Amino acid sequence: MSSRGGKQKKGNVTSEQEEEEQPLQAVLVADSFNRRFFPISKDQPRALLPLGNVAMIDYTLEFLTSTGVQETFVFCCWMSNKIKDHLLKSKWCRPTSPNVVHIITSDLYRSLGDVLRDVDAKNLVRNDFILVYGDVVSNIDVSQALQEHRHRRKVDKNISVMTMVFKESSPGHKTRCEEDDVIVAMDSKSKRVLHYQKTQGLKKLQFPMNIFQHGSDEFEIRHDLLDCHISICSPQVAELFTDNFDYQTRNDFVRGILVNEEILGNQIHLYVTQDGYGARVSNLQMYDSVSLDMVRRWVYPLTPEANFTDQQGQGCTHSRHNVYRGAEVSLGHGSQMEENVLIGRDTSIGANCHISNSVIGNNCTIGDNVVLDRAHMWNNVHVSSNVEIHQSVVCDGAVVKEAVRLNKQCVLAYNVVIGPNLSLPEGTVVSMHHPEEEEEDDDDEFLSDDQEVGHSKDKTRQKAFNPAEVGPEGKGYIWKASMNDTEDEELAQCLWGLVLNPDPESDSESEASEESQDRSRSVSPEIDDVNAFQLEVLGTLQRGLEENIVCDNLVLEINSLKYAYNITLKEVMQILTRVVLEYPFQQQGTQLTTLQYTGSLLPLLKTWSPVFKNYIKRAQDHLDCLSAVEELFLEQDTHQTAMVKVLMKMYQLEILEEEAILKWFSTGATNDKSRQLRKNQGVRRRVRRMSLRRKESAEDESSEEGECGRRGIKTEDLRTV
Amino acid sequence: MPGADKETDLTERIEAFLADLKRGGSGTGPLRGSGEMARETTYLLRRITAQARWSSAGDLMEIIRNEGRRMTAAQPSETTVGNMVRRVLKIIREEYARSRGSSEETEQQESLHKLLTAGELSEENFRQHFVHLKANVIEAINELLTELDGTTDNIAMQALEHIHSNEVIMTVGRSRTVEAFLKDAARKRKFHVIVAECAPFCQGHEMATGLSKVGIETTVIADAAIFAVMSRVNKVIIGTQTVLANGGLRAVNGTHSVALAARHHSTPLIICAPMFKLSPQVFTTIFYPFPGSFSYCLPVLREILSKVNVHCPVFDYVPPELITLFISNIGGNAPSYIYRLMSELYHPEDHKL
Repeated sequence: MSSRGGKQKKGNVTSEQEEEEQPLQAVLVADSFNRRFFPISKDQPRALLPLGNVAMIDYTLEFLTSTGVQETFVFCCWMSNKIKDHLLKSKWCRPTSPNVVHIITSDLYRSLGDVLRDVDAKNLVRNDFILVYGDVVSNIDVSQALQEHRHRRKVDKNISVMTMVFKESSPGHKTRCEEDDVIVAMDSKSKRVLHYQKTQGLKKLQFPMNIFQHGSDEFEIRHDLLDCHISICSPQVAELFTDNFDYQTRNDFVRGILVNEEILGNQIHLYVTQDGYGARVSNLQMYDSVSLDMVRRWVYPLTPEANFTDQQGQGCTHSRHNVYRGAEVSLGHGSQMEENVLIGRDTSIGANCHISNSVIGNNCTIGDNVVLDRAHMWNNVHVSSNVEIHQSVVCDGAVVKEAVRLNKQCVLAYNVVIGPNLSLPEGTVVSMHHPEEEEEDDDDEFLSDDQEVGHSKDKTRQKAFNPAEVGPEGKGYIWKASMNDTEDEELAQCLWGLVLNPDPESDSESEASEESQDRSRSVSPEIDDVNAFQLEVLGTLQRGLEENIVCDNLVLEINSLKYAYNITLKEVMQILTRVVLEYPFQQQGTQLTTLQYTGSLLPLLKTWSPVFKNYIKRAQDHLDCLSAVEELFLEQDTHQTAMVKVLMKMYQLEILEEEAILKWFSTGATNDKSRQLRKNQGVRRRVRRMSLRRKESAEDESSEEGECGRRGIKTEDLRTV
Repeated sequence: MPGADKETDLTERIEAFLADLKRGGSGTGPLRGSGEMARETTYLLRRITAQARWSSAGDLMEIIRNEGRRMTAAQPSETTVGNMVRRVLKIIREEYARSRGSSEETEQQESLHKLLTAGELSEENFRQHFVHLKANVIEAINELLTELDGTTDNIAMQALEHIHSNEVIMTVGRSRTVEAFLKDAARKRKFHVIVAECAPFCQGHEMATGLSKVGIETTVIADAAIFAVMSRVNKVIIGTQTVLANGGLRAVNGTHSVALAARHHSTPLIICAPMFKLSPQVFTTIFYPFPGSFSYCLPVLREILSKVNVHCPVFDYVPPELITLFISNIGGNAPSYIYRLMSELYHPEDHKL
């Protein structure tokens, strides 16, 4: 530990020297820009939801302050007034606070990208800054990472734009959020990120070839990393967000940087820490586990009894088995607090209760014979006698009447009343807001929980509460997974984040990549763009065939695709050839016989010959096209004989020139397989014949037209086949 | 207004110190070692005395008591802070008494009769205003600071009286005081030191490196081997985190087993502890915090950890009957004499802040 301590000390000293010139700044995004905590976050922004009876944003600010941040910009959007009030009352806005907090609010922020563009527009950061969300709980010492980041920037002349902080934790650990599950390829020595991909539950993953060719002799592909959502950014990051207005999230940014690495010369690095704790509360599952970790003291020194927010009356005592008690807590006769229990001030608990692994807020009343296991109760909750609560969240002001049972993963949002004598099934979400009110108001796809929802209160009042759902005296509407709307189906899962349901776009994206993965087993050193382009070309041709579109228009479309995906002419041609040759397989499955294959392919070649001609002009183009043909037939071993016909057809349609074919035949044999291909009887014969013809035609060039000669060959061919 | 400036500067310093205390539990934060902690606290208290607004000794004591309460609450496991606050309070009492002209002795002598009749009188006594009181108090705090600076040296000076040639000494974990003590002895004598590594933090490794650097013959053993090795040991010399009022110890985890092993083999157990570690607290059950940052003990979070509760107690309580001798900066004392030192250092009314 001495070496570690020593290093830290040194780090502090150097960073302090630099800090004297420029205070360390941080950008805290106090908005999630998604609706994972709906309907809870309808009443309270996520950053202010209590975790261990302290608002989440306080953990983030404490983390920043303890790392030596002197100036923090808090960006809020959804319910910005509440966040502002909270911060103004907290210790962060006292004049003595070492960390000056600026609050910037705007209703226009829709994403992290908007926030950073605003940072750039307002010119807020002057030096490296730390970027975090308002729901990050961490005690990681980032001074080491900060030092590495600065060192890299000094050595490499500002090439490194971002250092992401990751924590080692093996797959399956409960603080690993499945949505954020990430696979990273990095250079072992320089810690440079080569590839970054969210796994999204995919079984197959694809790595671009160039990461293996990057000159570095050692690199790692890691899946044991937990994204702490803490990143050290240089001021360029904000500028890059401005330049690329389509960057919405950090994920976009990282992918963008990696794809354009060669062009812009920017790099992203990684800092992997082994000790410390860092997690982002991105859904209720995470909320549950982070809250428990907090009570189990993993986030030391941010423990409940430390009262780091310095609020009056928030202090509590800590006793064995991690039982924390606030001031004025009363506990009835025979009640047991087994382990990992945090009870806020002025809370009274009745007799014969059984409490374990739970957090109970301030001013709660709990009746007799109550069983709480992994319950998260916020402030002013009333629980009557004989209630059982398992792994559920009960928000402020909720009332649970007699003999109610909340099964796993229930959520009672603000001021809901439940019961009496009711058992809520697993995963029930009850809110005072009617789900339909929600639907009416958000036709907008992009609505996030930070958008003001017009309250149509009169309407909701008219709708009666369903006593079968919330009990005879209950108040609240059920937000159920089984509602007709698919969006609601997402909701319950999103809240707890148990089942992976990626967004529709990413879904299709992953499918697409899987698909393309199946087909393009070639060792092409290209990235996603090429695959996407290939798919598009295929689609275009298909459509062209179905709707009988003129070839000129097809060319036009392919050209525009070429620009959209930034594909070189050479690649266009190779892909086009490949798509066309694979077309029969696409349409009729891979079980075709060679005869069927050629039968369906040859007419297609004829139809699309103008398209080919448009792209194949120079001699080099011919060779490239031939190599694409060769590559494909190398893969399709069984159909090698068809190659003869394909080549012939292309020759006849004047797609390929005789000269090129001859040249290809004489030069190209690069490996055994392709040599074998060339040895193939048909090909050899064809080519020999071609060369013969060439001599002939050279001899009596004057007498015969080229077309006639070709016709001659054609008839000859028909005879040979 | 320069006065207001001073005041905000002061509160800023206090806040910063409190924050340091909160983050710096068990020696991992910016403040390391109780010696440093004691000095920092005393500097701060001197600053409060100099800069806060007060007109009489009573006011000053109230201010210091308030701040002291906050400081001790910020890091309950670090008793040094509270001890220093008590020392300063005692200084103020003495200086006040001196200014009034009454001798300290009469003030100190508490008879049973006086205890029963005194009541609130004592607070009223401090209302009188003295011009030189501030200067005197600061002067006395400066003396205290010089005393703090010299503690380790004072303890180390006594080393030759306790360590003889060719002895085998055992120690546990790392203590700056013990390290200085052994190093001092090594200048004249040759002896062997066995260091128990003190898992999971393994401070013993550091200790061993430090000792072997100055040429002391050093062996590191696992904690489990303590009892087995004890029969060969002539003396056990250890440090402690706190000396409790009854003469017991609150020391690093594992000390109790060492003390029991030493008792079994009738090996003398010597504690090196500077006077500022003497705390008027006594052992109670709530006095058992686990301020462990567990990730140190379990570097790799495995899947199974989700289902496991990990407890990592950091301190042991060692009862006074297992201890042979305390070596402090004012000399060697038996555990039974601690009560006397206590009453010399702290005023009985300050035991509870």
